[in-house]
Amino acid sequence: MGAKPKAQDYKPSEADKASASVAMAEYRYFKEKYDPLLQEMRDKSLTDDYKSTLRGRASADTMQALTSSPSYQQTQNLSAAGDMAQAVQGQLGQATTSAKQIENRMQTNVLGTARGQAADAQSGMAQAARLGTSTALARAQANQQVAQSKLSAATQIGSALAFQGMDNMQTRGPSDQGPPTAGSFFSPVDPNTGKKVSGFGDRIRYSTGG
Amino acid sequence: MYINEDAIRRAQEMYGVNSANNAAALPPVNDPEKAYAELTRQEYLDYVQNYRSFEEGLLDKARTDTSLIDQAREDVGLASQLTKQVANRNLSRYGASLTPVQRQQMAKGLERSNVLGGIQAVSDARLAQREANQTLLSDLINIGQGVNRSSQSQLGQSAANANQLKNAYTQAKAASKAQTYSTIGSLGAAAIFAFAF
Repeated sequence: MGAKPKAQDYKPSEADKASASVAMAEYRYFKEKYDPLLQEMRDKSLTDDYKSTLRGRASADTMQALTSSPSYQQTQNLSAAGDMAQAVQGQLGQATTSAKQIENRMQTNVLGTARGQAADAQSGMAQAARLGTSTALARAQANQQVAQSKLSAATQIGSALAFQGMDNMQTRGPSDQGPPTAGSFFSPVDPNTGKKVSGFGDRIRYSTGG
Repeated sequence: MYINEDAIRRAQEMYGVNSANNAAALPPVNDPEKAYAELTRQEYLDYVQNYRSFEEGLLDKARTDTSLIDQAREDVGLASQLTKQVANRNLSRYGASLTPVQRQQMAKGLERSNVLGGIQAVSDARLAQREANQTLLSDLINIGQGVNRSSQSQLGQSAANANQLKNAYTQAKAASKAQTYSTIGSLGAAAIFAFAF
């Protein structure tokens, strides 16, 4: 006849107890070190003001893009202010949306961790670096560029005309047959013939040295 | 031998490891089952205390948040004022002046662009708000689903354990009855043998 079962034979083994002790120590360590951090993150996610930061940056970006090189010509552009208003609205809207995304992501991360679910490791702040450019800002920039290009082209043409005119006025005919003929702004004097250059063919011949 | 012990001691100091102290710091757990039960209960109570209202706030926000749209409406006035100031500063910087007609045209143009831009910005904000709320809700549902799944699994494990115990109890009762009947039978047989012969 077998012996009566002993209660002590059914108690957890030393290995089980050690394993449980380690697990309990880890749990306490987690509660002591990480739980307060998670609660801190929870509070931060509710109070941190990402919106002001991002909107401030968006506003600065817009101003830098549209007002960094002011010119007289811009003051006369009647539609520039309207373009800028739309650009500011677009950029601020994007910044507010990004801030909302960051806020929501942080909050769901905190909740996910608290509920023992997978959390997204991204803080979302990387989004701040990718703050996009709104259509309105791009359009305002493009309008400014076009206006600037028109002004540059006009300036180039005007300068070339002035230089060539001055050059023409300094041309003189040969002086061996009386006083030399002086060139005018639009018509230089051909030094070979001593006559003013006029007509299309004559001008081509003069320009090519023929 | 001396070098090895010294190296070990230095490594322990460097990494803050002291096996004797660590072993002493381990909490004694004589009944893992009870400890686990307490831990599970405490985890839930901590969640209720620290995160329940936070979670409810998020669920509410995912359904009712309109902050992006409200902000877009506020920005309409802000952008108008800002750009008007920039234009005036530029005019004074270059000493430029506009004719009354030009001024009127500029004001009209700014107003028109501002209104159109505002409409666009508010429409964009509506879309962004819907997307943000939808994303938040989806994330919350994902978390909730995960919690639901692990709760069901936990409950399933508890149910399986309870069922196993019930079956073991039924079997033990049957075995006990069988043992009793067998003992009675043996005693009866012994009595018959003792008295009849």
